[in-house]
Order: sequence, then C-alpha cells, then structure tokens
Amino acid sequence: MNGFRKVCRWLHRELGFFAVGLTLVYAISGIAVNHVHHWDPSHAAYVVNSRIEPTGDGETEVVAPLVLERLALREPVKETWRADREVLQVFVQDGTIDVNLVTGEVVRRGNVKRPLLYDFNFMHLNKGKAPWTGIADAYAAVLIVLAVSGIFLVKGRKGLVGRGGVLMLLGIVLPLVYAVLARRG
Amino acid sequence: MRRFVIALLLLAVAAAPAFAKEKVYGKGAPAGDVTPISTVLANPDQYVGKTLVIEGTVVGVCAHRGCWVSLASDVEGQTLRVKVEDGVIVFPKEIVGEKVRAMGVFKANRVEDTAKKCDATREGEPEVQCTTVYELFASGAVCDWK
Repeated sequence: MNGFRKVCRWLHRELGFFAVGLTLVYAISGIAVNHVHHWDPSHAAYVVNSRIEPTGDGETEVVAPLVLERLALREPVKETWRADREVLQVFVQDGTIDVNLVTGEVVRRGNVKRPLLYDFNFMHLNKGKAPWTGIADAYAAVLIVLAVSGIFLVKGRKGLVGRGGVLMLLGIVLPLVYAVLARRG
Repeated sequence: MRRFVIALLLLAVAAAPAFAKEKVYGKGAPAGDVTPISTVLANPDQYVGKTLVIEGTVVGVCAHRGCWVSLASDVEGQTLRVKVEDGVIVFPKEIVGEKVRAMGVFKANRVEDTAKKCDATREGEPEVQCTTVYELFASGAVCDWK
C-alpha cells in the first residue's frame, strides 16, 4: 500500500504542477462565461460620438467616398452600406460607424477583445475545434488522475477512512441532491 | 532546383493565410445558385419552405450568442436575417462587414409586437396584430474574411 501511495503522491505532485496553467484558464473562464447573460466575457463594448461636415443624402456612389474622406480613418474599411436614406454605415475591423449624412453626426460602436479573458474563453469554449479537443481531452484525463490519486494521499484519521472520506462523500452527494431537487422544481 | 523548391515553399507559406481566410460554419454553403436577397424578398411567400443559398454583407450580428446575422440585400436598406441553431453555429462579433454566403430553409414567422409566436386562434383573447418576419434558417455558411 505504501508503494501505491508513493506512486499517487508522485503523480499528484507532477501532474498538479503541470495542470496549474489550464486549471486557472478553465476556472477563470468558467466564472466569466457563467455570467454571459450579464456581460460579454470576451469583448468590451465602446461607443464614441463625433461629427463630420454633412455630405447630404445624395446617391451612395457620391456620398460614400466623401464620408470616408471626411472620417479620415487610419484603419482599413471592410465595407460601406446605406442603411437608410440618411445613414451610411462604415464597417471596420472592430466595429461599425454610423454616419448621419444630413446632420453629420458620427457614432462609432465597437468591441475590443478583453486582454487574457478573450484567449481564456477561446480555449475554454473550444473555438480552436479539432486540435484543441485533443488537448482538452488530455487535460480532462489529467484531472481524473489528480482526483483519484488525491484520494490516497493521506492515511489515517484525516484520510479516506476518516475526515477525508466524509468530505469526499459530501462533495459527491451535495451536487447530486441539488441536481435532483432542481430537476423536480 | 533547390532554389525553386525554397521559392515554392516561401510562396506557399505566404499564400497560406489567404487560403485560411475562408471560414466554414456548420455544413457550409455551396458557391453556385445564389438567389439574390432582393429577389427572395420581392415574393417571399413563394420561397417559404424552400432551401436557398443567399449572399450578402453582414450588417448585424446577435450580440450575446452569435446565433444570427443580418445580411444586406442588393437593394438599399433591405436586409434578411440568417438564423442558426443556438450553440451549433456561433458567428463572432467581428463578422460585421464581411461577406457571407448561407444555405438553409426560408421561413415565415408570424410574430406579435412582444416578439412571441403569434397564435391567431387563441380562444377568449382579443385579436392581436401580427406581422410576418422572414428569415433563412441556415444549416451552414461560408465567410470570406477580409
């Protein structure tokens, strides 16, 4: 048994260090995407108001180049679109610029990637698809080994036959009780 | 010969991002037989239930779940919504302004002002004003990222 416990301790220690990075990624991203109804965990929205000299609501072929010239954007323009008679939309990499052709009002709405969180969520939500599926599966296997090896780390009153066992049972039973009650409700 | 191979490899590396820019969502959408959005919306009831391929610039995207995009028609100010199954296809926010081709079944939804499903035969309730909202329920799409 001592040999087995030694192996568990070795596995738990080595894999524990190895899994720190991804555990933090999944845990932080987990909290972030858990509250997706309250905020966008990957992007921060912004609105910037400004004004240009109005071009008038003439033909799109005429007003669109004028608008672009007056906006004097330093970034590439993806596309322009005449949303209605008075509004020309200009699409750029991180958002949309609404230009009122009659009043000259400019409203730029966009989203910027949240530092770190965007990448954490990218990994967590498996947006990389196939290659990441393999990494995520391997990480899940590591977590299983960590959980199982953790059970046998401590012997005696604080181990599986004592307080450790009680805590482990609580950790299994409490979520199950919640799931059963939630399903009935 | 060695120089030629190296040049070819460099060319391939340089060209790779260009090829990688076409992103397929879900089952994708074939390039041929694209029906203009303006044609569909001129006689929408004629297309209800039919499988169509449409194409246009994305002028709107579902902010929360990426579960729909609005495509601009070739007619000024006209758009058609492309709906996809929640969670199966997720359009990123950055897709606005990109050209998208989508394939799916054209649908007509009767909706009330409250955006609930319109049921004209509910007993005991006053008649509600309903409008028909057309959309393409897409099984796939292709985006040529700029």
